[in-house]
Amino acid sequence: MRIPLFPRLTLALALALPCSAVLAAERWPDPHWSAAPASTSAAITALEDYAFPVRDDEARKGVRTDALLVIRDGQIIYERYAGPTTATTPHLTWSMSKSLMASVLGVAYGEGRFKLDAPVAAYYAPMAEHPGIKMGHLFNWASGLAWQEGYEYAPLKSSVVAMLYTRGRTDMAAFAAQTPADAEPGQRFRYSSGDSNILAAALKNIVGVKAYADYPWTALFEPLGITSAVWETDTSGTFVGSSNAYMTARDLARIGLLMERRGRWHDQQLLPDAWVTFNLTPFAGYQADAEKPDGAVPGAQWWLNSAAPTGSKPWPDAPDDTFAALGHWGQGMYVMPEEKLVVVRYGDDRDGSYKHNELLKRVTAAFGPGVKP
Amino acid sequence: MIRRHPWLSILAVLVLIALGWGWTNRADLQAFPSIIGAYSAKEYCSCRYVMNNPPNYCEGYINQYIPLSELLDDQASKRVTARGLGSTQTAQWQGQRQGCQLLAQPAATPDS
Repeated sequence: MRIPLFPRLTLALALALPCSAVLAAERWPDPHWSAAPASTSAAITALEDYAFPVRDDEARKGVRTDALLVIRDGQIIYERYAGPTTATTPHLTWSMSKSLMASVLGVAYGEGRFKLDAPVAAYYAPMAEHPGIKMGHLFNWASGLAWQEGYEYAPLKSSVVAMLYTRGRTDMAAFAAQTPADAEPGQRFRYSSGDSNILAAALKNIVGVKAYADYPWTALFEPLGITSAVWETDTSGTFVGSSNAYMTARDLARIGLLMERRGRWHDQQLLPDAWVTFNLTPFAGYQADAEKPDGAVPGAQWWLNSAAPTGSKPWPDAPDDTFAALGHWGQGMYVMPEEKLVVVRYGDDRDGSYKHNELLKRVTAAFGPGVKP
Repeated sequence: MIRRHPWLSILAVLVLIALGWGWTNRADLQAFPSIIGAYSAKEYCSCRYVMNNPPNYCEGYINQYIPLSELLDDQASKRVTARGLGSTQTAQWQGQRQGCQLLAQPAATPDS
C-alpha cells in the first residue's frame, strides 16, 4: 500500500514530536549531573542556618551536616559539603543501605527470580526454623522475630551491635535467623537490621553465588552510572545489607531519581512499577509507637510520610508523597515525586538534635513548588 | 536464718538474682568486652580507607564513652587494630568495592 507523501510526513511528525518533547523535558545524569544552581534567597539562607551551623567536631554536638544535595527534575540545583566530606567522598549510608538493597532485590524481582509470598526458607536454608516467614514479611520488617534494635546507647542487649561487631559478624544472616520468634509473621512491625540482612543473604541463592558478589553493580549501580559504591560484606561474603553501603551524595541521588521516576531509567524499566508501589505502600499492620510519634511510616525497606495508618503525617511540613531512605547519625535521602525533588543529606549527628521535618520544611520553602528556578 | 541474719539473707538473694541474670545473659556478657575494640577497628578502617577521611577526624569519629587502650593504623597494609576492655580486634581493608572487614584473629601488635 502506498501512502501519499503528505499524510506520511504528518504521521512521522505525530509520532516523533511527543518523543522529542519528552526527551527535551527529561534530564538524566548521563554520564554526569548537569547543574543549574538556584540563585541565593532568604529561604536558602534559612535552610543553611539549620543544616550548616558552626560545626562542633570536638564535642560532636548539634547538627553536623556532611553533605546536602538537592536535585530538581534531574538537575543539581543546590550542593554543599562540610567537615571532611566532599563531592567525591563515598559516605557511609548506614541504614539507607536497606533501601538500596531493596532496589537491588527489586531488579532480581523484575527478572522473575523470586516471589514475595514465597517462604524465605525457599531461598535461605537457615530460615527453615521459621517456615511461616515469607519474603514480603522481611521487606516490611514484620518477621515476628524478637529482634532488639538499639545502638551504642544500649550495647549489651542490642541484637544489631552483636550482629555487626561480635557474635554475628562472621555470618550476620545466620545470626539473625537464630533469633526466636515472639509474634506471628506479617502481623507486627518491628524495625530490624536482622530482617534486612536475611534478605541480603537470600539474594545469594536468588541470583547464584557466582553472580552475587557483583550483582549490586551489574543489576543496579552500573546501569545508573554509579561509580563510587562500596558495599562491605561479613566473613561469609554476604553484603551487610542493613548498614554498610557507601557512595557519594551525587551517586546516591541517582537511586533517588530512579525511585522518583518509578523505577525507570531512560527508557528502561529497571524496577517494575509494581515493585515501587510495594516499596511505597504503608505496612498494613503498622501502629505508631507512642514513644516515637514522629516516626516515619514503614513501607517495604523505605520510609513514608503517610498519614494513612495513624491519622497524622510524620513530617507535617513535607508533601504527602514524600518517601525516604533513612540511616543512623542523620543520614537521609528524601524523594518528593510531585515536586520532582531528590534531597541527599549526609550527616554525622550524634545527639539526635537533627529533625527530618525541619530540614524538609526549609527545603520545600527554598526549592518547592512556587519557587522559580 | 532469715530472722537472725536479715541483711545476710537479703544479700544472698541479691547475689542469686545477679547470678541468674548473668547466666541468662551469659552470651551477651561474654561478647560485651569485644564490642569497643571491634567497633573502633572496623569504623576507623572504613573512615580512613573507604571514606578517605583524615586520621584526626577518624579518631574523633570512633570515640565512645569506653576508652581505647590502643589504636594502631598500619597504613601500608590498610589494617587497623584497636584494644579496649582487654579485647584486641583488627579490621582489614579488602578492596575497592569490598571496603573493610573485621578479622577472626587480631593482628599482632608491636608490644603484644
